[in-house]
Amino acid sequence: MSKKSDFLFNKESTHFFLPWMCALMVFMTTLILAGGMSIHNSLKLWQKGVAESLTVQIATYDDDGNSRGELVYRDIENALTLLRTTPGVLGAMVLNDDQMQELMVPWLGTDAVISQLPLPKLIDVSVDASRPPMLEQLKADLEQAVPGAILDSHRIWLADLVHFASAILSLIGFIVILLFITVAITVMYTTKSMLSIQEHILDLVHMLGAKDLYITNRYAWHNFKTALSGSFIGFVIAIPIMFGVTMFLKSVSGELLQSSLSATQWGLLILVPFAVAGLTFFTTYKTVLTYLRKFV
Amino acid sequence: MNTKEDISPNIVEFNGVSLRYNKGPEILKDISFVLEPRSFYFMTGESGAGKTSLLSLLYLHLEPTRGRIRLFGQAVDMMSRATKAQFRRQIGVVFQDYRLLNHLNAFDNVALPLRLAGEKEADIKKHVSELLSWVGLEKQMKSYPEELAGGEQQRIAIARAVIHKPTLLLADEPTGNVDDAMAKRLMYLFLELNKLGTTIVVATHNVGLVKNFHFPQLHLSEGHVTQVPASGTSYTDMAAKLLKREEKNVEKI
Repeated sequence: MSKKSDFLFNKESTHFFLPWMCALMVFMTTLILAGGMSIHNSLKLWQKGVAESLTVQIATYDDDGNSRGELVYRDIENALTLLRTTPGVLGAMVLNDDQMQELMVPWLGTDAVISQLPLPKLIDVSVDASRPPMLEQLKADLEQAVPGAILDSHRIWLADLVHFASAILSLIGFIVILLFITVAITVMYTTKSMLSIQEHILDLVHMLGAKDLYITNRYAWHNFKTALSGSFIGFVIAIPIMFGVTMFLKSVSGELLQSSLSATQWGLLILVPFAVAGLTFFTTYKTVLTYLRKFV
Repeated sequence: MNTKEDISPNIVEFNGVSLRYNKGPEILKDISFVLEPRSFYFMTGESGAGKTSLLSLLYLHLEPTRGRIRLFGQAVDMMSRATKAQFRRQIGVVFQDYRLLNHLNAFDNVALPLRLAGEKEADIKKHVSELLSWVGLEKQMKSYPEELAGGEQQRIAIARAVIHKPTLLLADEPTGNVDDAMAKRLMYLFLELNKLGTTIVVATHNVGLVKNFHFPQLHLSEGHVTQVPASGTSYTDMAAKLLKREEKNVEKI
């Protein structure tokens, strides 16, 4: 004897397409959302960087390529004195060779001997984010106190990067919405196709007195379970790929990209299969209810 | 003083009912009749006279293009969809083409109305097994419709129509595919139900059946009901007499 609940469904009811479509959609949505979260985390880091730090460069070689020798240390002293007395500056510190080496790793690798390179001396300046210094004034003062010194305006390119990343985040949001719309449309057509294949069953149970809500709920739960199983497959496949991409990004971008996700973000990602299955339930429910109106 | 039976509403009332499919000609024209509680009717008429269409109106599968139908005392056109579904559960239908579900075995096909009504599985098992035995299909309970002969499928269809003891039973050529002995046996099943209070309408071409069982007819001709039974008659006694006659015949055998 068949189970009480499955008399509405024959072999054609379990549409082969539905679980795999859900798997694909969850796979893509999970990866895209994880990417978006990673960019969001990096964005926060960059915004913090923009607000809280500056860099001053002191040239170690002149324009003809000759070493400036002791003049460099005099310039550094003058620059530090100026910076430490500038309102809004919390502190200034010259980067030593080890710190420089660490900074250069992403570009030059671990084996580079930076002492042999014509690199400038860098002063890392901590800024009071709530009361930052007037940049234009500081630039002018620095030019006067240490001719040739450069106030590194990474604040400007980081600000551009922040704008760019914000745009990417909006685009990701739009793509996720598009993916969910695609799920809804696909579920609607899949359900219509199921209903049309099973019209003789629906017609009969309708004539035997099955209420619209009874039939609708059966279909909605049937598709929910099918979608959830497919969604988990998509999610499970997405996880190792996410880890792989995270490792790759860490290796190529160092601290530039904050690719690790927080517990809350992981929680949100785990909700993706349920969201797709929930959307499938809702779409199926609406589609079946509308379809049943054709019966008197 | 009125008895309870006198004041109970008619099972079916047709009032100037017409039916056409899309923009085609009227299949049924200005039909009016009444089916009283516990009555038994044959529906007769040539092929294409509109018997199946009339039955479809009776089991709420079609809506009339004109006129009003009252079922169990309520106007069908005023009913909500949920009420219609509730009313359909009080109707048993034997379809001419059986309409069995091929993915369900004989047992599950017959159990369908009980499952839709939310009956307990233990009760379903008991009632369905009994009825399938009664129609001679106890060995075919687990067989699927495609594995069964036409007559066997027809008996399953009949069992499904009567399993929930409907208030109104509509049968479209229910004996069309079985031998005379089985046809009689099925008719006595209908009589048994009628005795228990079910109103029965049997659409048939079988002249012998109509002659053997002296029930009034709804005769359809060119879309009109040309013979309407007189109202106020209870056929329970007639059914009881016929059943008694059959029991005596069985004893003699």
